[in-house]
Amino acid sequence: MKIFILYFNYLLPVLYWITVWSYAKAFFRNSAFAKKVKTPLLVFTVGSHTLYLIARTIYFGHPPITNIYEILSVLAFTTALSYLTIEYITKVKSTGYFVLVISFFFQLLSTVLIQDLANANPILRSNLLGFHVASALLGYSAFALSAVYGFLYIMLYHHIKSNRFGVIYDNLPDLEKLERMATVSVVIGFVLLTVAIIVGVVWLPRAFEHYSYFDPKLVGTIVIWLTYGIGLLAKRSIGWQGRKLMVLSIVGFVVTMLSLTVVNLFLSGFHNFY
Amino acid sequence: MNLALIGINHRTALLDVREKLWFSDAELPHALAQLKDQFFTECFIVSTCNRTELYGIVDVQKIPGNASANLKGACDVLVGLKSASQSVMPQHLYQFYGCKAAAHLFKVASGIDSMVIGDIQILNQIKSHYNLASAERTIGVFLNRLVQTALRVGKRARTETTICEGAVSVGYAAVELANKIFSNLSEKRALLVGAGETGELAAKNLVGRGIASLSIANRTRAKAEELVQDLGGNVVEFDQLEPSLLDIDVLITSVSSPQYILTPDQLRRVMKARSNAPLLVIDIGVPRNVHPDVNKLENVFLHDVDSLSRIVDQNLTRRKSEIAAVNKIILEELIGMRHWLESLQVSPTISDLREFFESVRSDEVKKHINRFSEQDRELVDLVTKRIVNKLLHLPTTNLKNGNGESAEESHKKIHIIRGLFGLHKNEPVQNKPEQDRNL
Repeated sequence: MKIFILYFNYLLPVLYWITVWSYAKAFFRNSAFAKKVKTPLLVFTVGSHTLYLIARTIYFGHPPITNIYEILSVLAFTTALSYLTIEYITKVKSTGYFVLVISFFFQLLSTVLIQDLANANPILRSNLLGFHVASALLGYSAFALSAVYGFLYIMLYHHIKSNRFGVIYDNLPDLEKLERMATVSVVIGFVLLTVAIIVGVVWLPRAFEHYSYFDPKLVGTIVIWLTYGIGLLAKRSIGWQGRKLMVLSIVGFVVTMLSLTVVNLFLSGFHNFY
Repeated sequence: MNLALIGINHRTALLDVREKLWFSDAELPHALAQLKDQFFTECFIVSTCNRTELYGIVDVQKIPGNASANLKGACDVLVGLKSASQSVMPQHLYQFYGCKAAAHLFKVASGIDSMVIGDIQILNQIKSHYNLASAERTIGVFLNRLVQTALRVGKRARTETTICEGAVSVGYAAVELANKIFSNLSEKRALLVGAGETGELAAKNLVGRGIASLSIANRTRAKAEELVQDLGGNVVEFDQLEPSLLDIDVLITSVSSPQYILTPDQLRRVMKARSNAPLLVIDIGVPRNVHPDVNKLENVFLHDVDSLSRIVDQNLTRRKSEIAAVNKIILEELIGMRHWLESLQVSPTISDLREFFESVRSDEVKKHINRFSEQDRELVDLVTKRIVNKLLHLPTTNLKNGNGESAEESHKKIHIIRGLFGLHKNEPVQNKPEQDRNL
């Protein structure tokens, strides 16, 4: 099992790289071969990643969420899985490169820096916590996806407006579809984040004796939740659509990234386990 | 194969000359019959607005000697049939022979010889003219094979390359743009203002792609009503454009007017009222109908003739870059054709025939040899070999001698023999249609 984990740890970035490369080749070079193999490659990669995560969980006796590098690998996985789901639902297969490149970098960082922790912080061995982390990470991947689609929307929007009919114009799906993909991702992310917050707040008093509801991590998360919430509300009530909404999906993701990195690493009171 | 081609097309002659040599479907039977009678064993004509081409298998008994030098007679008859000798000069006509003529037909079928590259309307025309010639019995083994191969080349070019992709007219470019902004045109509504020809064409294409509804406004209402009869949809008042802009997604303007019919201020109001839903404005008017600053408004996409032409140019360049890939397909099919022709030679056919009989014989002998005693086995082998040799002796000699028949006739005979005995291994192309269907 140990050998298997070690082997897969190095194999995964390679698999992601090959997948990203074939998606790029299909998008930028219009290669027929790449178009044929890219989705099967992605399925294989995600499948391997699933095996890897299961193997880690069994071998170390806890889910792979005990340090930031394990989490990075899980994020790479959830992002790729979310993309695969979206590709399957919408049948739009051209945008993979822009999403999977994120997975590749997350997994690469994880592979290089990961340490094997057999005895993790006992607080982190809780079922509620597993639920909390799973929904939060899936939610963040959904936000990442929506930011990518928002970014692609804005790119295509400007290309069409300024009469640039190049690779971007040729290969991206239409604006309406990109907007729908971004919006669906935001809704999914928003629901998952809501679940994560509720579970977190329930779990908090059980795990810690001293805690504050004004902890920077909690405040940061509420800001993310509000940013997306206001965006969704504006779409529903005052009919925001198009570019403005897409800008918001990117802003939301930037706030999310800040909360994940700056707040977690430098400011957090209790949410600092690693 | 003595394949010859006489033709005139958009490269060698202008329309006023080309049209003199255009054959209607009603004129073709007589022309085919006469040409076949005088020069060919098989022939067929493709005649469209861009080309008239006569393909024929030269009958060496009717045109003795060097076919290429003697095809002038056929040219004269072709021109004479249309009484066009006044306007069609020798320099307007081109002639190709053998492989080159076949390659030319393949180029035509794949669209790389068309006026607009990749326009393969021509494929249907070849098909219908082929059927016509077929009904007139001027098609034989060779032209049948040639045209079927040409049709396959056209199909392969369409599916294996992108030679036919992308809009190459301004009207289609407008539809392409609409498709880059909206997912489903059948849920979108369009408004056409003015009755200019290009605008009408663009609207027609939108209707062709199933746009949900089309409204038409024109200064003279009668003209708008006429267009509605043609395209469907409804007429709206020209003077009250603003309210009509509220629930549409595509606006096409082609009005001849010295002033802008739509200003940024107007459209700003409209966009606010339609809660900023994306609007594609295609301005085909010259001078422009819509103020260029409109493009600065959020979710408004303004495109004029220049930007549509840019799409067209780009698509044409892209199609041109596919020519190499199409030529590769043509080469493959030419080689296939060549293999087929070679297989129609006498000596390979005899050896294939012998090989086939021998394989049947040896298989059967092998299967039953154990029933014979050791000392008889050699004899069985010998006797069966003799039977096969005797059976094949007469056909072989007859094939070799040919009894003074023409090369064409002997090819036909060999074609039949190969078909009868299933001797197709020298013809890689023979199985190709099955594969195509699976693609």
